Amino acid sequence: MRVKVIVILACAIACVGLGAAAAFETRASRLQAIKTVGIISAIGEEISLTRAGLTGLDNAAQTASISAWGLDELIVQQATKLLGGRFHVQPVSYRRAAFAAIRDSAVAPVNLLRSDPFKELVRSDVTPQGLDAYIVITRARSKLGNGRNVEGVGFAEYRTLLADYGLIHALYEVRIIEGKSFDVIEKRAAAPLDNTGTVRIAGPSGPIEATFEDAGSSERLRAAIANLIVRSLPLTLGDMHLIEGQ
Amino acid sequence: MLPSPSGNWTVMVGIGGEYKPEFAGSNNGRFAPVPIFSVRRAGSVDQFRGPRDSTSIALLDIGHFRAGPAFKYVASRKADKYAELTGLGNVDAAYELGGFVEYYPVDWLRLRSELRQGMGGHTGTVADVSADVIVPLIQRLTISAGPRFTWKSTNATAPYFGVDAVQALASGLPTYNARGGAHSVGFGSQISYRINPQWEVHAYVEYEKLLGDAADSPLVKLRGSSNQTTVGLGASYSFDFRIR
Repeated sequence: MRVKVIVILACAIACVGLGAAAAFETRASRLQAIKTVGIISAIGEEISLTRAGLTGLDNAAQTASISAWGLDELIVQQATKLLGGRFHVQPVSYRRAAFAAIRDSAVAPVNLLRSDPFKELVRSDVTPQGLDAYIVITRARSKLGNGRNVEGVGFAEYRTLLADYGLIHALYEVRIIEGKSFDVIEKRAAAPLDNTGTVRIAGPSGPIEATFEDAGSSERLRAAIANLIVRSLPLTLGDMHLIEGQ
Repeated sequence: MLPSPSGNWTVMVGIGGEYKPEFAGSNNGRFAPVPIFSVRRAGSVDQFRGPRDSTSIALLDIGHFRAGPAFKYVASRKADKYAELTGLGNVDAAYELGGFVEYYPVDWLRLRSELRQGMGGHTGTVADVSADVIVPLIQRLTISAGPRFTWKSTNATAPYFGVDAVQALASGLPTYNARGGAHSVGFGSQISYRINPQWEVHAYVEYEKLLGDAADSPLVKLRGSSNQTTVGLGASYSFDFRIR
């Protein structure tokens, strides 16, 4: 009986292992076939201000437009530089607002069951069509405190009884969408840059001391956010096997 | 100390211990180890969790409101393990399946309710309601406390607190028909301290006062207590790893 259980367990582990290896092989071979890519970025249209921890009742997140900061242009420029060594990167045009408007459903199974909404948008909204793949960079979401979600680019305050903590974040996820079938070859959220922060969220973020309320604060905030993106993009693209040596 | 590289997943491992009543209504306590293990996206907040919460998954999550399925395992009660239970027979392990809703009107106040249906050892319905005020003193040190209330149906109460004629003969306790209703009120509090990004320690106490037919059961009145206290503590270590 015990031998039978061990054999069944071993077979199950082997099946899972072979399945994972096959999936990895499929992904690797699909990535190898990619020669031309287009890059789409839609995270930099607005910045949020979120408060968590010991807050008052009126603590809804606030947003402001930052399209003038040109963060998406910066991301496309950086990604082009990073991917240019391996792929032929072609400029693409798309409606940024349409990509930025897509949100995950609050009901988790819906996200698993429904077709990826970015696939359809790449098919219908991006020109030129026919590239081998499209790299789509959009907002990602994380929890802050117990009951608050933060996403995309933002400034967050975590208030405690004895101290307040501020952090900036640039939460994004990257999809590789195949250019003919529009299948999502891989999707990955950018990871935190380190694990030493007092307040952590699930993506690139960093502590800040400044309140960004004086003259010139907007430019400093933009520079700090841009720094997060520039530091994390090589890691994320490296994790996705799009660039080597990270 | 184990290495803790930056990565895209966080694993938390740890060990805790819990001193709790030997069985529901018991006057004596016993110590049981509690393993701690979780895997989550790196940087994900370890969401507030009460010691009495069932295992649950938030399938609906809109930030301040969460809902999803909940599961609780209720260990079997073996009559031969404790002298107070002699003659009452065993109660099999129960599996309670149901759902939970959780609402944060503000980030520091959690209201939670669970409704579960038992299978196995009992086939009744259990409803838990709790509130927790969560106060971060500093980011690393959080205390929380709040009231609890539990309602149980007759089928969830009788197997643990009823005494039928056969059991009465074998145990020496009077026969007792335990019906459902308000089961307990209580109060819980916990404290957690994150020593550094890797190490975290926590402790908690949960007090429960049995009510209604559970409190009036001869098992409780003659051989146990309606005051049920659980004390626990634990330590965990988190480390990141990268999957490429």
